[in-house]
Amino acid sequence: MAHEKIRRFSNWRIVEHWMLLLTFGVLVITGLSQKFYTIDISQWIIFHLGGIDRARLIHRCTGVIFSLITVAHILAGITGIALKKWPPSMFINKEDISDLIHNIRYYLGMEKSPAVFGRYNYRQKFEYWGVLHSGVLMMFTGLILWFPALITRFLPGEVIPAAKALHTNQAFLMFLIIALWHIYNSIFSPEVFPLDTSIFTGCISRERMIHEHPVELESIEGGPRERVVHEYQEAGTGS
Amino acid sequence: MQARLLHFPSLLLSYIQKGCFMNGTIKTILILLFCFWAFMVPPVLVKAGVVISDETQQCLVCHAKHGLTKVFENNKSIEAYVDAGEFRASVHKELKCSECHTDFSGEKHPKRRFRNSEQYKIQAALACKRCHTNEQLKTKSIHAAVLDDEKGSHTCTNCHGSHSIKSVSKKTYKSEEQHCLKCHGQEFSVEFKNGEKLSLKVEMPMLQASVHKKLSCSDCHFGFSQAQHPQRNFRSRRDFFIAGSETCRRCHFDKYTKSMEGIHYAKLSQGNLDAPVCTDCHGSHTVVRFGSNRTLIAQRCGKCHPQTFDIYAKSAHGNALFDEHNQDVPVCIDCHTAHNIENPLSLDYREKIPDLCSNCHANKAIMGKYGLSTDVVKSYLSDFHGVTLSFYRKQREKSDKPSRLIAVCTDCHGTHSIISARNIAPALVKANLVKRCQVCHKDAAGNFPDTWLSHYEPTLTSAPLVFIISLIYKIFTPILAIGIILQIMLHIWRYAVNR
Repeated sequence: MAHEKIRRFSNWRIVEHWMLLLTFGVLVITGLSQKFYTIDISQWIIFHLGGIDRARLIHRCTGVIFSLITVAHILAGITGIALKKWPPSMFINKEDISDLIHNIRYYLGMEKSPAVFGRYNYRQKFEYWGVLHSGVLMMFTGLILWFPALITRFLPGEVIPAAKALHTNQAFLMFLIIALWHIYNSIFSPEVFPLDTSIFTGCISRERMIHEHPVELESIEGGPRERVVHEYQEAGTGS
Repeated sequence: MQARLLHFPSLLLSYIQKGCFMNGTIKTILILLFCFWAFMVPPVLVKAGVVISDETQQCLVCHAKHGLTKVFENNKSIEAYVDAGEFRASVHKELKCSECHTDFSGEKHPKRRFRNSEQYKIQAALACKRCHTNEQLKTKSIHAAVLDDEKGSHTCTNCHGSHSIKSVSKKTYKSEEQHCLKCHGQEFSVEFKNGEKLSLKVEMPMLQASVHKKLSCSDCHFGFSQAQHPQRNFRSRRDFFIAGSETCRRCHFDKYTKSMEGIHYAKLSQGNLDAPVCTDCHGSHTVVRFGSNRTLIAQRCGKCHPQTFDIYAKSAHGNALFDEHNQDVPVCIDCHTAHNIENPLSLDYREKIPDLCSNCHANKAIMGKYGLSTDVVKSYLSDFHGVTLSFYRKQREKSDKPSRLIAVCTDCHGTHSIISARNIAPALVKANLVKRCQVCHKDAAGNFPDTWLSHYEPTLTSAPLVFIISLIYKIFTPILAIGIILQIMLHIWRYAVNR
């Protein structure tokens, strides 16, 4: 039973993640090197991309792809949830906050065991919503910056520098969330090191499910909740 | 020699002794003359043992003394004095007085009338031509120039002197300047092949006021000296000046090499002879140090660039220079440099403009005096135009050739016509800006200039939206980063404790 694999992500989700990974990577490289243009590495990147105009073109084209993915994701998500085909597992609820508090207490030694999570824990939800709302923001501010003359036909001129401030700051924030939080959680965290492969293979081991998503496992297996939680607590404190 | 020299007193003595046609008074005069000769003249005449004719000695009896004057019709006079010592040393020492002063002799001393000293000198100098014919004289270029000059009132004696005339090759002057100015202090001109003329008179006061006052003529006029005066033929006045300016590099080699990189030299070497050479800006005999006289610099450039000069003179910079004698404002050479002047229409130059402006406008010491912000360059460089420009410049170094023009300072502010925006209605500034924006951003509308925050950091009043957004992120981003890092560290710590 220990090496049993459980299907966690559909193929579409795997493709979506890959596309997001690539476009985000390109956007970060071309974008941050424009934000921090005085740094040597930024200049090296821009020169090797073929100059500032080329770097901007790449950034914009990639931005379009990124936007398409984001829009498709949102539309699919809304449709899926509206048609009740998908459970609204990504929505933030009260439990997430209590889980966060519980976990901090656990880290500080004030609780015996960590919080138990469903399909997504609060860290994953935080990353998801962080990326999603940033993505939408980047989409709009990016478009404004792309067509400043057109935008100022309808909106006051100050919108352009404001969009620039939003775009550049939000990008940096998003980069921080991904670089620190997501990379830690999916690569460097002792629980998954060297890599959490579930988003690439679509599968996760039952053992990790017991550790990380016991509530979901319970609903998958349909057994009594106490059994899984017990199993989890035994495993969690043991190893 | 000595015996012949002393011939004059013996003659006197014989006259005195014979006494045949003399009364007492004449005898007394002759005795006195003898005494004078015995005590005064010999030290002069005998000194080096120079032969002087009897007639000359006779004339010198009177003319070696001061006090004799010749009065002209204009009531001006000259002294009819001959320095016996100088005459003794002259090349004409063996000539009799009457050989030049043809109407005069021991017996004849006619009275003649002249209008002025000039007329007298011209008349007297005619005597020279009796021995030195025009043909003979013209073999020397310098004489040819003088003799062909109809307007000039050149007399031989002006340059060569009269009684003190010396062999040209042996003549020595205290300084080379004196030697040259003997002729070049006179008004005379040279004619070039194309018929243009140039006065060769050197104004001494100007020379004395120049920075080169300690130099000798031949320091610049290379090849000329007291012994040499080569003949040079120039097609035109301009050719002469261009060739002449070549001498400057012998001392100012750094400036010369710099100017070779400049647009003026490039124009010259393309065959435009109007392109300025050293002396056109600095002058020749009148070379002065520009130094602190920045007004003069602008005026010098304005000589050839009058339209640009007029525009500049009306600008904020030009106004301050000419009206207030403000020395902080840039003059032509501060942006264009003095010698290695670049083509200001080149892309390279254009992209250097923010640097040029920042030389002053990023300098707190200068800008502080006028209450101007030093952030102007920084705010330009950190915005789209500035970032793109700085990349283009670096890309160009790497032989990439982006050809798109990027707005630089002068595109909005003007170049020579820069005026202060302080006293202009903001609406007018904006209206003008829109037109400028539209040159590149074809579809720009009336609001478009507001996208640029006018060189100022956003504040709550000037750009509230930008200010608030930036502020929120300034606070929120570090908090989030610290929060995440704390979470990670706590997580690792708990994991380590559990193990």
